[in-house]
Amino acid sequence: MRRRPGIGRTVLVGALIVLIILVAVAAIYVRKPAPTPSPTPSPTTAAPTTAPPAPKIEEIVIGMVEPLSGTHSIFGIEAKQAAELIIEDINAKGGIKSLGGAKLKLVVEDSKDSIEGAKLAAEKLISQYHPPIIIGAYISRHTAAMAEVTEREKVILVADALVDFLSEKGWKYFFRACPKTSIHGKTAMDFVYETAQRKGIEISTVVIINEDSVFGRYTALGAYHEALGLGLTVLDQIEYPYDIADASPIVSRLMELDPDVVISVPYFSDGVLIATTMEEVGYKPMIVAGAGGCGYCDPDSISAAGSAVEGFTQTYSYNPFLNTPYNREIVQKFQERYGKLPTEAGGIIFYSLWTIKEALELAGQMFPEDPLNPDNLRQAFLALDITSGPAAETYPSGHIKFGPNGDNIYAMAVVLQVQDGEPVLVYPFEYAQAEPIFPIPGYKP
Amino acid sequence: MRASDLKPIVALTAMLAALPLAVRMNNYYVLLLTWILYYSTLVTAWNVIGGLAGQLDLAAASYIGLGAYTMGTLLTRLDVTPWVGIPLGGLVAAGFAALVGYPTFRFGLKEAWYALATISSVVVLQKLFLVWEEIGGPEERYLPARYGELYYLRFRGYAPYYYILLAVLVMVLLLNVKIRRSKTGYYLLAIRENEEAAEILGIDVRKYKLRALLIYAFVTGCIGGIFALISGYLHPHHFDTWTSLQVAILGIVGGAGVGSIYSLPATTFIIYSISELLRSTLGGWIPGIHLIFYGVILTVVVLLKPEGLSETYERLYGRIRAALLRRRAGGG
Repeated sequence: MRRRPGIGRTVLVGALIVLIILVAVAAIYVRKPAPTPSPTPSPTTAAPTTAPPAPKIEEIVIGMVEPLSGTHSIFGIEAKQAAELIIEDINAKGGIKSLGGAKLKLVVEDSKDSIEGAKLAAEKLISQYHPPIIIGAYISRHTAAMAEVTEREKVILVADALVDFLSEKGWKYFFRACPKTSIHGKTAMDFVYETAQRKGIEISTVVIINEDSVFGRYTALGAYHEALGLGLTVLDQIEYPYDIADASPIVSRLMELDPDVVISVPYFSDGVLIATTMEEVGYKPMIVAGAGGCGYCDPDSISAAGSAVEGFTQTYSYNPFLNTPYNREIVQKFQERYGKLPTEAGGIIFYSLWTIKEALELAGQMFPEDPLNPDNLRQAFLALDITSGPAAETYPSGHIKFGPNGDNIYAMAVVLQVQDGEPVLVYPFEYAQAEPIFPIPGYKP
Repeated sequence: MRASDLKPIVALTAMLAALPLAVRMNNYYVLLLTWILYYSTLVTAWNVIGGLAGQLDLAAASYIGLGAYTMGTLLTRLDVTPWVGIPLGGLVAAGFAALVGYPTFRFGLKEAWYALATISSVVVLQKLFLVWEEIGGPEERYLPARYGELYYLRFRGYAPYYYILLAVLVMVLLLNVKIRRSKTGYYLLAIRENEEAAEILGIDVRKYKLRALLIYAFVTGCIGGIFALISGYLHPHHFDTWTSLQVAILGIVGGAGVGSIYSLPATTFIIYSISELLRSTLGGWIPGIHLIFYGVILTVVVLLKPEGLSETYERLYGRIRAALLRRRAGGG
């Protein structure tokens, strides 16, 4: 830290002032379209626990914590966009009818992609806005950090994070509509097995490859158990770090084992790498079935890997092609506003927020005198059994009912397959857009 | 140690001790203050190596992680109280620092190269703990949820951690003042100003740099143990390069080693508060604004005040004092 010859101070100060003005202008500009959460919430937003004559609830704050900055910000930002859209939609359609048309108000906080940030964001939401429900935080360990806060403060936490253990902690105010990681693994295995049966092809051996995070591991575990349950032989499970630069050791191990089926849990670029390496060496198993919500059928992966991922499949927690009236409507709205298809991160928010809406509706009917009391709200969540309406129409299985641990009993993932360079829905068969291609192109027995 | 050294520490402690009461124990503000204090403590400890010895050390997260894992593993496996686990974590961190520091100093790794070597240690440890299934692994390891028991040092609120960190901060401040006044302190200053000249004068450069590093690593390892208690679990992400960078940025902006040591907590307080304010007000609309803020602050300070902000605070303090004295003289 030596002294350096000074650069013209006036120039620098001038530049700084210009920069500050620019940031201020940008802040005001960006602020305008979004609803501004006022720092002093209207008194009705605070969940009143003591007012004996049923108070008129005009507005209910829904808190949201997502990684809006940092490595996972693409997901966090899409989740926020989806939430803004859905909250607008719910309000436009009359709000919470059983609570006299109370409107929902969304307050979004950035988790800074860190444990400390997620915890801080949850504390801030609760102490300043008193939301009865918080949704977040995409990354499982951030969600876990937040759950410590929400459990203490008795705030319902609706998670959009997939790792299994979140529902195994005995948390009381925790709910998760989206399919957990092991469901993803199970769905991938079931899809392959049922497709093979349909086509009259016999499969007997499986190799599971997964990136070595807790996410990859739980997903692989789900596939593993399902494979054993279906009487298949799992030849090996290969773990690798998600940021590998060379997939050839994995592919040559696969060639050596030569399984019928490869179940793969990719993260992002590793999937592309595995697919292109297989293409280069000219090896294809009967199928490469991806599990875990992102990977082979992402638009980015398809454009990066090209024909190498043709026929590869991937499980997702949400299906943008689901052919129901509401899903068509919301996908179109999303595309109009943000110029892209909603993916996993946004889709989970679609049905999670509609589930929250249904729970509030039910709480209003079950406990008209104190619907926002955390224990009453929890009862309402547990009593939910959604089989119709927007939540069901955007959910893969069309059915949401929470078990005692807070997970959806009817949780399910969907399977997309790359066909002619486009992702298409192939499983569950009753909703499928196209018949799955099996074995995949390039497979030589 | 002189009485004049103690006065500001006592004043600062009294002020900081009253802060959680000033925000009426609101969980959000107390947690915010706890994180501020956490970084203040880290930066003040960093002053020993980064300020006094002038080495751009970026391994803070290595020591934090090691401290966290040592304390946490002892607690979860062997039921060893954090009262013992935290200092042991500090020792493990210091041991690791010796392992990295001895060869780097021996082979004269300096400046940017030293910075690169230290920050890469963070990445290496993170990967190692990811594959080391017995102790680390990708799954979070939770600390026992036995809240309110002094043996486990786990609390539902944040105020206890705040006061624990405050106690550590006071110790680290005293340590800094003591080193500065000691022979070691003068040697370190000489090394920082001109390493070759110091060596020619007969100072064992390697020994004193290593000594500063060990002290710093021990303290940071202890703070790492406290961090794990606050976050409630262990994960290889505790080895986080951003934490290392943040500590160094706050240290450089605060003017580590140049002026008063109190400039470091003050800078942390100001920068972290503004950054959190930006995150919580504008973060929803301009994601990542707090990161832009860090970049701008660092650029501006390095260009305009390469010696850090400590002098600015001193001048400001001098002015306020003079104004107060004048008023008193005028009024009386």
